[in-house]
Order: sequence, then structure tokens, then C-alpha cells
Amino acid sequence: MSSFIEVKESAKRIYSKYDAYINPILKFLLAVIVLSVINAKMGYMTKLDNIVIVLVLALVCSFMPMQIMAVITGLFMLLHMYALTVECAIVGGILFFLMFLLYVRFAPKETIVVLLTPILFLLKIPYVMPIAMGLIGGPASIISVTFGVVISYLVEFVSSNASTLDHVEDGNMISRLRMIVDGLLANKSMFIMIVAFAVTLLLVNVIRRRSINFAWTIAIVSGVICNIVMLLIGDLVFEVNYSVGGLLIGNVIGGLLCSILQFFNFHLDYQKVENLQFEDDEYYYYVKAVPKVAVGVPNKKVKKINPNRPPQPQSHNGTARTVRTANGTTRTIRK
Amino acid sequence: MVNKEKVILMTKLAAYEQGEGRKVIPIANYFRSDYIGLQLLRSFVAGTIAFFAIVAILIFYNFEKIMQDVYNTDMLAFAKKIGIIYGICMVIYLVISYILAVYRYGKAKSSIKTYYANLKKLNKFYE
Repeated sequence: MSSFIEVKESAKRIYSKYDAYINPILKFLLAVIVLSVINAKMGYMTKLDNIVIVLVLALVCSFMPMQIMAVITGLFMLLHMYALTVECAIVGGILFFLMFLLYVRFAPKETIVVLLTPILFLLKIPYVMPIAMGLIGGPASIISVTFGVVISYLVEFVSSNASTLDHVEDGNMISRLRMIVDGLLANKSMFIMIVAFAVTLLLVNVIRRRSINFAWTIAIVSGVICNIVMLLIGDLVFEVNYSVGGLLIGNVIGGLLCSILQFFNFHLDYQKVENLQFEDDEYYYYVKAVPKVAVGVPNKKVKKINPNRPPQPQSHNGTARTVRTANGTTRTIRK
Repeated sequence: MVNKEKVILMTKLAAYEQGEGRKVIPIANYFRSDYIGLQLLRSFVAGTIAFFAIVAILIFYNFEKIMQDVYNTDMLAFAKKIGIIYGICMVIYLVISYILAVYRYGKAKSSIKTYYANLKKLNKFYE
């Protein structure tokens, strides 16, 4: 266990020291993964389905705040939907628009949750989201997770009905729009997911805030169990036929991913190295402020003393001497 | 001569301004009533746009039905109904916005206390 803590501490140290470089790299990787998954699953606009475009956009994302990445990902999805049918793009666009107008104003940091949820759906592990947001977010995160689930089901509906949507005659925009909205609203599985995720998120959040030992671990485990139970009940009552195996495995993987999150939880307000510039009447100052915790902890070397080691003869320093006893054996006498 | 204490103080101030303070200072610069009023106004505009966007979609969605019944519907009652729903939605949204704005303002004010104290200390170097 102590080696785990050492790994965590050194990771924390490295991160707080080099976060100016690590953050852009992580953002770049995240953007590449997100955009590639979108391209793979809904690459209707062939012009966008190009690794060069993905890399360029990811590079832009790496230097911008997370909100810009969310906007770029959202536009990317909308363009693919547009290439399929205009109506998909309208429905998706209105969803995004309402979300930005009503909710993102209050919690701009949660935008990324909305866009990561469809990606996790495509990777078959959406169950991470409610537990993770219960751990690091608050009850209000239910809204962003819900939006995320709705958008995921829109993406799924579009990709599974792509050929049907393509064949509805061109002039009839309203019927296509109705088809998409009906398809979305008639999807019981989506509503079960939303309710299950909301309950799980709330439960995880409530347990995580308790001042009990292992609150995080208990929260994760109960979150996984709650999620499975809720989804199975929904499955039984509304007969939506979730794959039970996928649900169980997905949830367990989700729980494991959240324990990694728990392990590397840096408490988000960690102290980092600050590079600051300011001036007064006389000088310009370029200050690098290094927090005391981030300064390398001295490597302590602990010398092990083995108490069971047989005593060594020490004849040369005069503290012990070997004598012959009366019965012919030798003995060491210590002074 | 560089004054060590002054540099430490200025570093703390700059770190706050470029970090947490970037969001907090603009909020704390308002009077409480001004900040809350502005937030409510923004919520009102955003909520109104969102509501009518939803109404537009619903009309578009039920376009054929509405066109069939257009001569049989009591337009005044219909508008009244929409007006009532709009009022209820806006009240809920504005109450939520109000609570959030009050909470944010209080948090900003308590976060900025140390910053103001340090500013005062810095000011003493110039007296």
C-alpha cells in the first residue's frame, strides 16, 4: 500500500510542477480521442473524417479552455448530423442551444460532461458518468448528465436509422423531424437511463459528503450497485432488453475507473507552480512562485538493521577476544 | 533596492488575480443588488428565447394538426394558455437564478477578503 501512496505523491509532485505542459498534452489526447470516436461512429461528412482535421482541431483545443473544446466537439457532431439530414442537425442544434442558454451560463465547466457522455456511450461505459460526477460534482450535475444522455440517444438513433432517414422523401421536412423527435421520445431505455443515472449520482454525492471513513470507496461501490439495480428494475418493468452482461461488466469497469479517479484525486485546488508577471513604479517582476509542498521531498534512505544476523567476530578492535575453554572448544568473550 | 516583503505581497496579489480572482473580482466589483439584478435580467432574456424556441418547435412538430384546426381554435384562449405556461416557467427559472446569484455573490465576497487585506497592506508601502 505504501508504494501506491508513493506513486500518488510523486505523480502529484510531477503534475504540480509541470502542469503547464501536462495539461495541454492531456487536452490534446482527449480531443483526439473524442473527435476520432465521433468520426468513427457518425462519419457522415466525409470531409471531416480526416485525421489531419482531427489533429489540427485537437491542437487548437489543447491551448484553449475546456469550454472551447466542448463547443468544437458540439459543432463537429452537428456537422456530421447535417451531412446526414438537416433535420437531425436542427434537433441536435436546438438541444445544444437550449443547454447553452439555460444551463451552461451557470456551470460552464460542466459542458464537457455533456459531450463526454455520448463518447462513453459509444465506448459502452456510460456508467462511469453518474458515479464520477457524484464524486467530483454536485447534485446540479444531474442536469448535465441528463443532457448528455439525451444527446447520446439522439446520436444512437441517428446512426441506427441513418438509411431510413436518408430514404424519407426530400421535400417532407416535417415528417423527418417528427420521426426523429418521436424516435427520441418513444425511447423508454433513454428515460430509464436518465432516472437511474440521476438516482445514482445523488446517492454517490450524498455518501461522498458524509464524514465517514472510506466515504469515497463506499460511494463508488453503492453507486455501482444502485446503477445496476435501477437499470435491471427498469429493464424488467418496461422490457427494454438491456444486455445484462454488458450492463454488469460496464458498471464494474465504471466503478474501477472511478476508483482510479479517487486514487488520483488531487482535491482540485492543489497548489501549483505559478509564473507571474507584474510591475511597480520601479521594476518589472518575473516571479516563479514554487509552493512549499511541490518542492522535492528529500529522498529518505532507511537502513535496515537485521536483529537476527549472527554476531560477527570482532577481534581487531579489542572489544572481544577468543579464548580456549577447558573442554577444548573456542568461545568469544565480549567486553 | 527590491523590497522583499513588497515582492511577496505583490506575488500573492498577482497569483490571486490570475487564478481564482479572475472570476471572483468582476463579481465582487458590483454592488450586491446590481449583480443580482443583472443576473436576473440575463436569465430573463435567455429564458424567454429558450421558451419561444421550444414553442416554435412544438408548433413546427404539430404543424399539420394546427393548420387543420386553425379556424376552430380560440386564438385568445390559446395565447392565454401559452402566456400562463410562460409565466410559470419564467418564475421557476428566475427563482433558481436568484438563489444562485445570491450564493455566488456571497461566495465571491468572502473569497476576496484576503485579497483586499493584502491590497491595503501593499498600499501602506506607498504612504
